[in-house]
Amino acid sequence: MNGNEKSYLDRQLAAKRNKKIKAVIQYVLAIIITLIAVFPLYWMISSSLKSQEEILLLKPTLWPHEIHLENYSNVFQRANFGKYYYNTIVMTVGILSSQIITGIFAAYGFSKGKFKGQNLLFMVVLGALMIPLQVTFIPIYIMCANWGLADTFLGLILPECVSPYYIFMLRQTFMAIDDSYIDAAKVDGLGRIGIITKILTPMCKSTLFTVTLVTFTNGWNSYFWPKIIAKNEHRRVLTVGLAQLRNTFAGQSTMNNHEIMAGAVMAILPVVVLFFIFQKYMLTGYSKAAMK
Amino acid sequence: MKKNKISPRTISALKDFICVVPALIFLAVFTYYPICKLVQISFTDWNLLNDRWNYVGLKNWIWLFHGSGTKHLLNSLRVTVLYSIGELTITLVGGMILALVFNRMSRSFSLMRAIVFMPKYVAMSSAAVIYLWILNTDTGILNYLLRAVGLPAVDWLGNRHTALISVLMLTGWRAIGYGMMIYLSAMIGIPRDYYEAAALDGATSAQKFWKITLPMLSPTTLFLFVTTFISSMKVFQSVDILTSGGPYRSTEVFVYKIYLYAMEDFRMDRASVIAIAFFILLLVVTASTFKISNKNVHYDS
Amino acid sequence: MKKMLAVTLAAAMTAGLLAGCSGGGSTGGGAAKAPETTAAQETTAAAAGGEKTDETKAEAAAPAADASKYEVTEPITIQWWHALEDQYSQTVQDVVDGFNSSQDLITVEPVYVGNYAAVNEALVAAHAAGTGLPAITVANTPYVAEYGAGGLTEDLTPYIEATGFEIDDFGKGLVDATSYEDKQVALPFLISTQVMYYNKDIADELGVTIPEKFDDMDQFLEAVSVVNNGTTERYGTIIPGWDQWYFETFYLNKDVKIINDDRISTDLDSEAATGLVNKFKEWCDKGYIYWANGEDASSIMRQNFIDKKAFSVCHTSSLYNTYVDKCDFEVGMSWLPAGDTKNQEIGGCVLLIPSKNDQATKNAAWQFLSYLCSKEVNMKWAKETGYIPTRNSVLHTDEGVKFLEEKPAFQCIFDNLDLINPRIQHPGWSQLATIWKNYMAEMMIEDVDIPSKIEDMTEEINEVLEDS
Repeated sequence: MNGNEKSYLDRQLAAKRNKKIKAVIQYVLAIIITLIAVFPLYWMISSSLKSQEEILLLKPTLWPHEIHLENYSNVFQRANFGKYYYNTIVMTVGILSSQIITGIFAAYGFSKGKFKGQNLLFMVVLGALMIPLQVTFIPIYIMCANWGLADTFLGLILPECVSPYYIFMLRQTFMAIDDSYIDAAKVDGLGRIGIITKILTPMCKSTLFTVTLVTFTNGWNSYFWPKIIAKNEHRRVLTVGLAQLRNTFAGQSTMNNHEIMAGAVMAILPVVVLFFIFQKYMLTGYSKAAMK
Repeated sequence: MKKNKISPRTISALKDFICVVPALIFLAVFTYYPICKLVQISFTDWNLLNDRWNYVGLKNWIWLFHGSGTKHLLNSLRVTVLYSIGELTITLVGGMILALVFNRMSRSFSLMRAIVFMPKYVAMSSAAVIYLWILNTDTGILNYLLRAVGLPAVDWLGNRHTALISVLMLTGWRAIGYGMMIYLSAMIGIPRDYYEAAALDGATSAQKFWKITLPMLSPTTLFLFVTTFISSMKVFQSVDILTSGGPYRSTEVFVYKIYLYAMEDFRMDRASVIAIAFFILLLVVTASTFKISNKNVHYDS
Repeated sequence: MKKMLAVTLAAAMTAGLLAGCSGGGSTGGGAAKAPETTAAQETTAAAAGGEKTDETKAEAAAPAADASKYEVTEPITIQWWHALEDQYSQTVQDVVDGFNSSQDLITVEPVYVGNYAAVNEALVAAHAAGTGLPAITVANTPYVAEYGAGGLTEDLTPYIEATGFEIDDFGKGLVDATSYEDKQVALPFLISTQVMYYNKDIADELGVTIPEKFDDMDQFLEAVSVVNNGTTERYGTIIPGWDQWYFETFYLNKDVKIINDDRISTDLDSEAATGLVNKFKEWCDKGYIYWANGEDASSIMRQNFIDKKAFSVCHTSSLYNTYVDKCDFEVGMSWLPAGDTKNQEIGGCVLLIPSKNDQATKNAAWQFLSYLCSKEVNMKWAKETGYIPTRNSVLHTDEGVKFLEEKPAFQCIFDNLDLINPRIQHPGWSQLATIWKNYMAEMMIEDVDIPSKIEDMTEEINEVLEDS
């Protein structure tokens, strides 16, 4: 009996030790993975502050000997980054607001409304999820171009005005809200717009916010369509402008990666800041979709 | 008069319907109409340079399935599938491994998780530009590290064997944290008592993982599999910026091939047939993944 | 409120949809028609005050040599699309300012669109849409035929006749390179040609020169390359694989036509062509030459030359000043080694006016175009960059002598001016070029079966040529 107790204690101790070793391994692995994950971003920032001579060193330096902030002003002056920023902001705001408005109304109609063919039409919306822009861009491009929308904000925004994903997510959220709230609101004499703005939207604030954040970053980061519709410098967005930087600087000198990295920092910054401010929402943004 | 005969119910239905009308119109114009239009273009000889076009019957289809287009179709198919397999492996297997590593509730771990997840939000175009610099043959940091440990430098983007791997490195960097987060949030949902019961039966950690965690995560895996598969089929940006489909077509994925035909050769006719073929492929893939996996997924009830 | 909006939107969308449908609707059979241009043309016409269509038609019908027709009478702002990168921005600004201040009516806005491929994409897209066209744009030299055949460009012949533009001052090759089926569809702007830059310090040290004959390349490469145990420390030369323009003259000078006289087939599988491929491959395998390919190829190539890891590079003459600025050794410039002939081809860009502009814009564009192609502006480019003077009145006079005193390296180009030929013009050229350079890079870099690759390539190119 005594022996039994001893071996039990031993086992307890061994288990504890095991647990500790496991924890250490876990920590070490986690730190290594985190460092690898963050390295490209670190390297971008570090390179963006170096001089041209320094980025060409065969033995790269981890941190610049001398900080060269003028890389940033160079990019701003020479590659018209201010304009890219403006275009990106207008485009993103346009896409976002139209997706929110069409999305909320459609989600209401599909979740709380009642009309003939509702399910069929919802399938039409879901079906659109299956048809990516990468397939349909040719006719859309010709259509937009014929309407005179090439190189315009409307051209950048219009094809992205409705997001089936947004409608789908909001519909799921609205469905979860009990009909009694809506009935009560109807008794109080609220119309549809009232119900949407005063009842549904406040009740689903956090989901709405999360989904909107995801939509925002999608808009900010969009590349395929802007590249096709806005070929002209004056409606170029950040993502395309950044990819073009190599061309802009081609010929000037052999390696301009320090300036290109400065451009990358500026393009990424808003989203990264947003990410850390709204970390909680950003982290759940995608898992919400997974949980449907 | 007649108007009064419309019941309030009909009016209400009408109002509800009007709520969804804007969205439906947009989808009709910007999603469904283009598909029809594509089919039409695929029967013409339309080159964007020319103002005029003719109907040419099945010529483009024959070109695609029984002509010199077939080679390109198969090449794109091969590259796209290879890429998809790569991205799926990274997201599912890599994401799962990371989820196990980062499965610890503490402040430092939650910060590290956030950092690993963050690349998902970095625009692909910016990320690609960073990777171009990291992968640079002569002055890139990756080749420096390789040389430092005595390995030969690699021409990452200029070589058929490494170009796709380079693209996958970039996508993997952005995708792995996402896979991790999805798995983690699902792991939290697994009831504790399953593990406690297993512990009482003397199960090892490995057994617990294979017998409890993995099966319980199968709906999540399905979700990740389907969404990643479909999105990986549509890869464009990383290829456009890193390799432009090169070297010699070794990274010419489907969407990039369509883009090349349409915007570089201006062969709208050929771009359209490939686009339709691609669309049909997407539909088949999605439908079949749902069908196959519906049978094999463990749903906890 | 919302309802109203929705209904209006619906109406607008339906109208658009219907218009789109009717425009795209088929008339069946072989009846050719413009897809969806109806709406676009209406928009343009409306924007131009409804004067567009009639006037252009009248223009085409009676190209009278009446200068007043091409006068600019009202203030107008026009866009100039160019592909001149950052290092030329000062020159661009000077030139545009010079024009804007030289007269009161026209204001030119220069727009950097991207590289030549980007300009091509944007231009063709705008042409297809019929809107958003620039008044005047640059275009890379091989596109002239494609644009001329597609009707993208305005025929400049009547303008030249009416305003007495001194077209004869350009060499015949340049005039040919900018016309299509006897119509002057463009004018030469920034012209360059292929050259070999080499490290003159090392050349003097080793006592070598760039060989005049391609067949002497073996000896030359062996002399200048430094290869140790299979790793190359210094390449003999670097050939840009990202643009076939750099190596196509080697073919042409070996009597390879690239596009046969029948216009629907290629002779890139001929014995001479195969011989060239094998030669290049041999040098690649020996480590003598580097086939620069991939996204960063251009900068890698230049960096290698600057770092003295390559004795020479094949590149365009327009980058002369850049090379001289960046290298800490003396840069030599030489004509490419010749085959049976020692011809070369025009590179760089031409200027053209898109035909779908309204007449007022075209007139303003023509004024600016004449200015850009004028002798003074051309000489400014020649002096500040590596582009070649285009005027006979410069090239064959004292002015040319003076220019050479400033840039003696250009002697090799001046000696061979008559040998600079127009590009091969074919509507399927750019598709051919893409296929060709892809296969070349694959054959040079990878270990593949060359005869079968050449066979595949020929088959693919023939198919494209037949179908263009």
